[in-house]
Amino acid sequence: MLGKLSIRNAKRQAKDYIIYFITVAISVALMFSFNSIAVSEDISDLSTMLKDFSKYITGISVAIILIMAWLINYTMKFMLEKRSKEFGTYQILGLEKKDIANIFTLENMVIGILAFVIGIGLGVFLYQILTSIIMNLFNQPYQIGITFSLEAVGKTAVFFFITFILVLWNCRRKIKKTKVYDLLYAEKKNENNIIKNIKGNAIIFILSLILMIGGLVIANGEVDKINANEKADYIVPAIIMLIIGVFLFYKGITSFLVKRYLDNKSRKYKKNNMFLYRNLTSKINTMTITISITALMFMLIFIGGNIALLYNNMLNNEIEMSFPFEILIQSNDDDFTKYKEYIEENAQVKNMYEYRIYYINNTGIANALKDTNFRNVASYGYDSVLSLTDYNKLREMVGADKIELQDNEVVVNTLKTVKGNVEEYANKSNSLQIADRNMKIKGIEDENIGQVSFNGDYYAIIVPDSLIEEISKEDEIVRNENERLSGKGYIYKLVVETEETTSEEFYEGLEDCMDKEERQVTEVVNGEEITYTIEVEDERVEVKGARTSQTRSMYTIVSFLAFYLALIFVMATATLLAIQQLSDSEKYKYRYDILQKLGMDKKDINKMILKQILFYFAIPMIIPIFIGIPTTLIVSRTVLSAITIEEVIRNIGIIFGIFILVYGIYFIATYIQFDRNIEEKR
Amino acid sequence: METLLKVDQIQKYYGNKDNITKAIDGISFEVEEGEFIGIMGASGSGKTTLLNCIATIDNVSSGHIYLNKRDITEIKEKDIAKFRRENLGFIFQDFNLLDTLTIEENIALILTINKISEKEIDKKTIEIAKKLGIEDILNKYPYQVSGGQKQRCASARAIVNSPKIILADEPTGALDSKSARQLLEIMEEMNKKMKATILMVTHDPLSASYCSKILFLKDGKIFNKIERGEKERKQFYNEILDVLALLGGDTRDVR
Ligand SMILES: Nc1ncnc2c1ncn2[C@@H]1O[C@H](COP(=O)(O)OP(=O)(O)O)[C@@H](O)[C@H]1O
Ligand SMILES: [Mg+2]
Repeated sequence: MLGKLSIRNAKRQAKDYIIYFITVAISVALMFSFNSIAVSEDISDLSTMLKDFSKYITGISVAIILIMAWLINYTMKFMLEKRSKEFGTYQILGLEKKDIANIFTLENMVIGILAFVIGIGLGVFLYQILTSIIMNLFNQPYQIGITFSLEAVGKTAVFFFITFILVLWNCRRKIKKTKVYDLLYAEKKNENNIIKNIKGNAIIFILSLILMIGGLVIANGEVDKINANEKADYIVPAIIMLIIGVFLFYKGITSFLVKRYLDNKSRKYKKNNMFLYRNLTSKINTMTITISITALMFMLIFIGGNIALLYNNMLNNEIEMSFPFEILIQSNDDDFTKYKEYIEENAQVKNMYEYRIYYINNTGIANALKDTNFRNVASYGYDSVLSLTDYNKLREMVGADKIELQDNEVVVNTLKTVKGNVEEYANKSNSLQIADRNMKIKGIEDENIGQVSFNGDYYAIIVPDSLIEEISKEDEIVRNENERLSGKGYIYKLVVETEETTSEEFYEGLEDCMDKEERQVTEVVNGEEITYTIEVEDERVEVKGARTSQTRSMYTIVSFLAFYLALIFVMATATLLAIQQLSDSEKYKYRYDILQKLGMDKKDINKMILKQILFYFAIPMIIPIFIGIPTTLIVSRTVLSAITIEEVIRNIGIIFGIFILVYGIYFIATYIQFDRNIEEKR
Repeated sequence: METLLKVDQIQKYYGNKDNITKAIDGISFEVEEGEFIGIMGASGSGKTTLLNCIATIDNVSSGHIYLNKRDITEIKEKDIAKFRRENLGFIFQDFNLLDTLTIEENIALILTINKISEKEIDKKTIEIAKKLGIEDILNKYPYQVSGGQKQRCASARAIVNSPKIILADEPTGALDSKSARQLLEIMEEMNKKMKATILMVTHDPLSASYCSKILFLKDGKIFNKIERGEKERKQFYNEILDVLALLGGDTRDVR
């Protein structure tokens, strides 16, 4: 009997239930497809080089579960509200609250199970698409076919049904608690009585601004600390301040707008303000919560996306700085024949040059980097030196002019990002003590010749060729790190410029050319002398092509996951806004019908509908934009040594563009559908 | 007195070729300025349909309706809204108030739609609320007031813009007898003191007895017509009952 009643009613509300059903099914599909990716062998094979891969996956899974839980919770509560009048009527007819709760539970269980099955079906399909996208990104062959992971199904089922049952249980409690009166009049009640209680909405508003600005300032300070390698303890409090600030802001702004427009009659009666604002504020509590959660989500997407892009840029720039040439080889042996043969066989050589780097005692220049991220150089105890001839040849290879030096002059070539610091230092102490001679610093250059630990650590001193002999004896080859740290000797370098970038296989082949020396090491452990052999690589081989593709693939997978998550965020929140608007459209239809009967123009009605939906979609964007931009700028300061401000701004533009696109599609679709619902049988 | 409304041989059919319902089957009558016309008839006799045609909410199948000599059946779709807001006032059986607006705002709504200046709106709203005895509940929402108060609010909304004619469809239908009487007295006042022309559809003889003239419909045709003249209301009421008895059928339902 109960079952029949419940099914008949469910049928009658089919339209609302379809929206509900679709939401739940999509949630399941998104969750399932992600779980499938997480357990897929294709994907995990790809990501062996990613040591934190499983961490990312877990993090994202948790985020997805939370979003889904929120979405399911929201829609189920929504359905409950929609049916409250019906439930109230049952109660008046003498049905027990318990029975009503049972009806609701029964219906939802049926829908939940159906949606789960459909969702898994959808998810299989979605997973295929996602996998083929990922495989495509990595140039891996992939056959679309039906693969089905029971593990993923199981995981999804556990997550989904736990969430579902918790939410359902919560709704049951609500049904049992609510009075008949509230059930009967739930639909008609407006939520704006709350506003009247908030006398100090100005205070709330100001408080929210203080919290948000304070949070930003603290975060900014913490970034300074991070840059200085100090512990940043207040990052979490700063984030919490921002979150609370956002909530208060939306609470404040809605009541602020209501006050402004509805308490002042001349404003209220202008055009169609009154109707619009009352429409918006009749659900003010629900609206405030939806809007602030939406805003927080957008903020996360915005900031997260920006950080991902920033790090991508940073990685790219780092590669550019570390690899002025395609191939960099370092050896304590002047015989590069094996390498040269391999390179000439497997790549098209454009330019090739052999030279030496000399080590001398610390001249004090390292102190110039005291205030930078590279301050630890100061403790190295040595400086790297290049002869003018070698330097000029390297300059020529990167396309720069030759420079000239007097016998008592040197030039310091630095990494672009620390040039200023070194210049400042040189202004104060203009001369260097090298090999007992007093040398004048002629100038500071910032040519990119591999200043990230290949040709010197962040800088190298360029000396006239005549000075080299005084610096170093012919037999002082640096054999290991200790010798280098002592600040004397030299090492052989070979750089090669190729016509085209090389592959990872090329790199592996080149690595095989390295001499591996077996060396006896003696150590005293617990008073006992132990001797063992280790394999030592005295040579260093670095290839730009290989490094690029490693970084790329790591970045691609991380950014793909981040993008996937962001997409789910946007879709979940936009779906939510759309559901809220569309399923309320019946109520709105009634209101707009009255307006039309009273003689409002269709044009004006359409304009109002547009305004109303625009309000819902646009308001949550305000804060993410105003907080997202400064936060991104703050975060970008941690990487500013490797990235320019223009790039940061460009990133903000890209993220924003993608976001607007997806969101805009939702907005337009909602508007069209809403308009159609209102138009129906008018 | 001038003729305000002229209904000329209108017909309204519903349904398709095989199954036609003649909701209105050739009705003609005239309404003069300042009249309080009642339209009576059993359920299904075509009262609402007639009212909707006059209200430009529904189209006639044939015939013409003139308001101040303007043929309203010829008004173009895009001009209908303007015509309605400038000429007509409505009172519906189910109030048709907006839940999201306060009583005051519900009254003011019609004025904002007519783009009256803000100061004027406030003045007019409060003035009419006082006249209809609802100034105490202006800041309440519809769900917080009684049906009678809601209907008075609807009446205030119908008259506040001084329309040419007020159309009321069973305004007392959802009210208890005391509230109904209060409302009818107010409508009578609107008609007498504020010179509003009212066309009211009802199947309740008590409601009809407040009118100055009554048309009786049966199966989409005018069956009879009576005028109150100088008669007492009680007397008029008995006369109405007599006509209804003649109408036959469901007079029991009517009482
Ligand atoms: N939209 C419609 N479609 C079909 N038939 C209708 C429609 N509206 C009214 N009718 C029919 O027209 C006749 C008159 O209806 P109506 O004017 O509503 O009667 P009243 O208001 O007097 O009770 C009835 O037989 C009714 O069934
Ligand atoms: Mg009717």
